[in-house]
Amino acid sequence: MTEMLNFSNVHLYYDHVYALKGVSLTVNEGETVALIGANGAGKSSILRAITGLNRIREGEIHYLGQRLDGTAPDEIVKRGIAMVPEGRRVFPLMTVAENLALGAFTRTDKGEISESLDRVMTRFPRLKERYHQAAGTMSGGEQQMLVIGRALMSKPRLLLLDEPSLGVAPKLVQDIARSIVAINRDEKVSVLLVEQNSRMALRISQRAYALATGEIALSGNSAELIHDDRVKALYLGGEV
Amino acid sequence: MEQVIANGLYLGAQYALIALGLTLIFGLMNVLNFAHGQMYVLGGFITYAIYGQLGLPFPVAVLASGVSLAVIGGLMERYLFRTVIRRSHREESTMLLAAATAFFFDAVILLIFGEKQRGVPKIVKGVFHDFGIILPYDRIVVAVVAALMIFAFILFMKYSRTGRAMRALAQDRVAAQLMGIKVDRYTMIGFALGAMLAGVVGGLLVSITGVNSGIGGPISVKAFLMIMIGGAGVVGGAIAGGFILGMMESVGLTVLREYGDVTYLVIFAALMIFLAIRPNGLMGKPWG
Repeated sequence: MTEMLNFSNVHLYYDHVYALKGVSLTVNEGETVALIGANGAGKSSILRAITGLNRIREGEIHYLGQRLDGTAPDEIVKRGIAMVPEGRRVFPLMTVAENLALGAFTRTDKGEISESLDRVMTRFPRLKERYHQAAGTMSGGEQQMLVIGRALMSKPRLLLLDEPSLGVAPKLVQDIARSIVAINRDEKVSVLLVEQNSRMALRISQRAYALATGEIALSGNSAELIHDDRVKALYLGGEV
Repeated sequence: MEQVIANGLYLGAQYALIALGLTLIFGLMNVLNFAHGQMYVLGGFITYAIYGQLGLPFPVAVLASGVSLAVIGGLMERYLFRTVIRRSHREESTMLLAAATAFFFDAVILLIFGEKQRGVPKIVKGVFHDFGIILPYDRIVVAVVAALMIFAFILFMKYSRTGRAMRALAQDRVAAQLMGIKVDRYTMIGFALGAMLAGVVGGLLVSITGVNSGIGGPISVKAFLMIMIGGAGVVGGAIAGGFILGMMESVGLTVLREYGDVTYLVIFAALMIFLAIRPNGLMGKPWG
């Protein structure tokens, strides 16, 4: 298996908080990897470090064998990393069509962009129905589909998802989980999934890292961790 | 009646263009550009110098006003506002900076151009007189050019890649960054564009009302009124605000004439009541 993303001993401060205290992890090509842990454990900070929204203080991030940290955010998008941010963050006053077009902002290959658009529409037919509707007027679940579709429009090789189940109706969580699995399988996209809903995350991932206060407390195969009582303890704030 | 509407539309078109520049800068950066009126005055004096003094064609002079202000605006963003925003998260920091640039421009304009009222030769002679309306042709030309620019601006924001990037930035900065939009670059373009609009209107209007170094402040106040009416940071709001203020001014000058110079007193009072009921203006959003 080829290594796609590699964190080695990454330290990061976020708003004066020591958010990552020497994190090392890997994501291999074709994998879905979950990052689980309680609120404030540092899961989102890992994603912010990858996308260049925050600079790391120490350590190195490599992507496809090349140094990634210090690269400008737009360059990171061009290199094939797309992120679905927490809380959805659609462009509320723009239509679904415009939101999706912005997902392909860094691309210039017109023909292939419309091909990507067709694929997104096939995957989320709901977006086709709402194509000319302002994104801010859609339901939470529909907005979640839109931001996943928007991320796919950049034709990523690595997809980062920050809490995609947050604020989505419970019966839609299943649908979103299913589409993440399908995207990983069909589009040959590796997925790094941040979730507080650890059951969902462990069910659809192959491997997982559990974080506690900025450090990796546990890691292993998701199928094994799902039955591990130490995972539950992490959420209750206990020692592992 | 027809005369009042015609005057209102003439005023509204130029006001809307001023408000568009101000609202663009606010929407993109959350900066209230107190120097907007001074930018207008600078544009006026540049057209005065090139058209009135050097005798070059009027369109060339207005273009020069626009380009000069775009450069000034771009530099202001790059070297003043960007550095302040990076270091301070307090909104009053940029407000104070904007106020300081306004005073600075006032001083510079006074130093270079003096305190005299300056006018230029008429761009078109003659007066339109029909349908119960009396309107000099040059006013019609200015209003039509302003209306065409508003239209072009809307199309640009809606359909161009740059316009779309700027709208995305205004709606969600972080999400825009995640799309690979170069935040710094498009913020600078937006500030330059907003300043350019102020400069162009100043240049256009020097042909009708002339220009003097003291009108920057009052122009800024009018621009603020417009975006308070329409809602800050919204293109449609700026246009609506511009035309509403133009109409109110036109109606006020006719209806309230016998009571003396009270039009703006009434407008201010009406606006305070309006804002108490609708603090975000007609189309403003309660969020950013």
